Amino acid sequence: MRDDLSRDARAVYDRCMRIVRAAGVLVPDRRRDEWTREWSGELWYRALLLDRARPNDRHGERRLMIRTVGAIPHAAWTLTDEMRIDPMLQDLKYAMRGLVKRPAFAALIVATLALGIGANTAMFSIVNSVLFRPLPYERPTELVYMYGAFRQGSQAMVSPPDYLDYRERNSVFSSLAARTVFGTAVITGSTEPERVASSIASANFFTTLGVKPYRGRVFLPEEEQGDHAVAILSYGLWQRRYGGDVRIIGKTIPIDGRPHTVIGIMPPVLDRTMDVQIWRPIPFRTNEMSVRRFHFLRLVGRLKPGVTIAQAQRHMDGIARDLAAQYPENESWRLNLVPYRDVVIGGVGPVLLVLLGAVGVVLLIACGNVASLLLARASARSGEMAVRTALGAGRSRLVRQLLTESLLLGVAAGVAGLVLGHYLLVVVRAVGDGMLPRLAEVDIDGTVLAFTFGVSLLTSLVFGAAPALHAARTDLAAMMKSLGKSSATRSGVSTRDVLVVAQVALSVVLLVGAGLLVRSLWRLQDVKTGFDPSGLVAASVSLPPTKYTNRDAEVRFWDQFFERVRAIPGVESVAATTLFPLRGGGDTYFYIDGRPPATDADKMNATVSSVTEDYFTTMRIPLVAGRVFNTSDRTGAGVMIVSDALARRLFPGASALGKRLVVDFGKPFVGEIVGVVGDVRIYGQANDAPEVMYFASRQPNAGWGVGFGNLATRVRGDPEAVASQLRAAVRALDPDVPLSAIQSVESILYDSVAAPRFRTQLLVGFAGVALILAVVGLYGMLAYSVTQRSREMGIRMALGARPTAVFRMVIRQGMALVVVGIVLGVAGAFGATRLLAAQLFAVKATDPIVFGSVAITLAVAGLAACIVPARRATKADPIAALRMD
Amino acid sequence: MKPLSISALAVLGAVSRAIRYGFDIMDATGLPSGTVYPVLGRLERDGYVRSKWESQVVAQREKRPPRRYYEITASGARALAESAEHYRTLGARLGIPARRTPAK
Repeated sequence: MRDDLSRDARAVYDRCMRIVRAAGVLVPDRRRDEWTREWSGELWYRALLLDRARPNDRHGERRLMIRTVGAIPHAAWTLTDEMRIDPMLQDLKYAMRGLVKRPAFAALIVATLALGIGANTAMFSIVNSVLFRPLPYERPTELVYMYGAFRQGSQAMVSPPDYLDYRERNSVFSSLAARTVFGTAVITGSTEPERVASSIASANFFTTLGVKPYRGRVFLPEEEQGDHAVAILSYGLWQRRYGGDVRIIGKTIPIDGRPHTVIGIMPPVLDRTMDVQIWRPIPFRTNEMSVRRFHFLRLVGRLKPGVTIAQAQRHMDGIARDLAAQYPENESWRLNLVPYRDVVIGGVGPVLLVLLGAVGVVLLIACGNVASLLLARASARSGEMAVRTALGAGRSRLVRQLLTESLLLGVAAGVAGLVLGHYLLVVVRAVGDGMLPRLAEVDIDGTVLAFTFGVSLLTSLVFGAAPALHAARTDLAAMMKSLGKSSATRSGVSTRDVLVVAQVALSVVLLVGAGLLVRSLWRLQDVKTGFDPSGLVAASVSLPPTKYTNRDAEVRFWDQFFERVRAIPGVESVAATTLFPLRGGGDTYFYIDGRPPATDADKMNATVSSVTEDYFTTMRIPLVAGRVFNTSDRTGAGVMIVSDALARRLFPGASALGKRLVVDFGKPFVGEIVGVVGDVRIYGQANDAPEVMYFASRQPNAGWGVGFGNLATRVRGDPEAVASQLRAAVRALDPDVPLSAIQSVESILYDSVAAPRFRTQLLVGFAGVALILAVVGLYGMLAYSVTQRSREMGIRMALGARPTAVFRMVIRQGMALVVVGIVLGVAGAFGATRLLAAQLFAVKATDPIVFGSVAITLAVAGLAACIVPARRATKADPIAALRMD
Repeated sequence: MKPLSISALAVLGAVSRAIRYGFDIMDATGLPSGTVYPVLGRLERDGYVRSKWESQVVAQREKRPPRRYYEITASGARALAESAEHYRTLGARLGIPARRTPAK
């Protein structure tokens, strides 16, 4: 028992021991216990003395504390003492001392490598989280995603009755679930009405994935039978609209005008296919869920243990054949099974691996620079090495010494790179939102730490190998001779030549890749959309079906609404459509009047758009022939307008005007073509313009009604400024109608190429860093070589060589390396850019313009790097050169 | 033999006068703890002092953890004498009058 100390003295002792324990971190493990006990023994004793002599002696206490601080140098001393004994640690100590003596040199190397390692850490974290880390579900490899498949498409949907049959009859899935993938719902209630993404799903959907609710519960089996108004909210919606209040569970909220009971909240991070704010059960027993021809579900299944996806595909194909035999409408329909992970990741896998490769190349180039620096120093240190060899240091000892230095640099750079990588990720998460799947999950975990550590070690070996081997090869006699003169040996320079060539070649490869992506992006952004996006504002308006039960009510709303919008200052015109560019749409079957299809396979289909009369003028879609809609079309015979592409397909070489089409809107609608308009790239600039049939929204029986509309408003001046006034106009008319997704059309277009732009920017950034590193490497190599050869240059000039000849000689030496590098790099790029081919839009992977401009860029940059050393060479002083010996 | 540094000489001198504990040596020599302990470590490494732990019995009787103490070795005594001699001659050579040196 140590109860002899008063409380005060005990506190002093404890405070002192905290200092001792902190300092003890430095003490080598095997000595630490004894070391700590020595301090604790003395401190206790002294505290005891203090206490006995005069309690509460503040002065004495302070003296004791100050003395305790001496534990820090004591601990440091034990560490250095340990290093003296251990040759490994001795090398380390020597290496540290060497680096501390040249802090700028060490800092330059560590910074160069940290840049490379940091970028690699960040990129690998992304790849690790997106591609390697399992999905946030139970045993995710068992999960299979299923599309409907028929002759024309393999990514279609599945009908509810088919799903129920598949679920009933299959023996390969332990659980088979279904959900819709498109769809929205309108939430009303205390705050402003809001349209959000919504899905209906089979009751077993979440249990199939193995997703546990964050709060509350998931659907019960009986909730897909009959009519259960229950809903599960996403974490995001719960936080945003309901302030994260758990008491929302059990309460009812109006969804699509009907009260629904909230039964659960989903966890925050799911995958991007789960980006849905409201989940409701599929009411399988209702009429609209019982039609085998209506396909609108996708399936998710969990394979039974040991069943492969190929076996499951064969098994499900068998069921599909049975169903087709039973129901004629199932003719040629089946399921298309793909691993769930592929659906979540989409097509980004190859892109990410290309980027990871690119960032690896940057690190390799950085290693080249560091190796070159170390080689230069190795030459400068050849005297030191010679002395150490003469004093009996073995060759292996020298190599080990140099490698220890490299390792020390590499590990320091690794630590710095990890910190840098962390901040790079913060930036990427902020900038890249929505452009990469699973981006929210990206962070630095154990795998990444191991990766960075491995990369640091590997890096040390790569850049440390050249100087170490150089030291091992050099012969002692030559070194002794050169003592004090520090002239570079031939072999050192040639190793550095190789490094420069490799750096130039690697940066050519990266620059070509970046150049291709940049050109591809330009091409993409230059694509004509078919309408004029400047000054256009888009917004979505949806009328709650419970309130707007008939067409008259809907029409009345739109009329009043348009009137109010036109009155907003700055608004030129306003129109609505069901098919807004980059915001989805639907299609249907049709045939030319008098030529009905003989079989289902002969059916033609085209995209459908119901538009108001001002639509084409507001969007500035050019009229190719005929006329646009006008108020006379509100009554009278059925009319329609077709897009140029559709007109040319249906009536090649003839006018489409006056022809009639029969269109399937549930019941047939016969429309006469009164106009032909220009093609519009509805699905983004990277996709061809679809064939479109336009219908006048006010004409009865044309289209699917006007309860939901995409608003297009053309304004003078700032498009964003009218947003609040649009909102006010809706609210004044009917506070239950949500107005959502207000955005200028130019920014919609800009966002649509965000993902390619993001990856282009990344690769351009990597290539830029590579170019800078390569040029710096070339410059450093030449500058060093000129310094080494200043005597030679001086003698040449003393013998009558003109400065221009010397200048040219240095330029030739440098440019020879650059040219060899460019040639090798171009050859390499021909192979490497094939990996990019799938990402390119309207640019070939061997685009001569890109290859040419990269070669020229590098030649110019290389020349620039040569000029300064070459000019310095001409300044070599012949007299000084002759005096040197 | 290389002479001991001045601080090593002071510490070794203290130990030779049976001032055996680290903190007591600080009191005797006026050197800070950050000097005394590394010096003791070096002296022990070179075999001039050896360290021991005081008996558990004593410590337990006083209800405190045991302290570590240092003793001079034979070679330590030799080194002390030689170094003291070295500094004495050095002082004489520099014209510094000899004072009473720490007696053995």
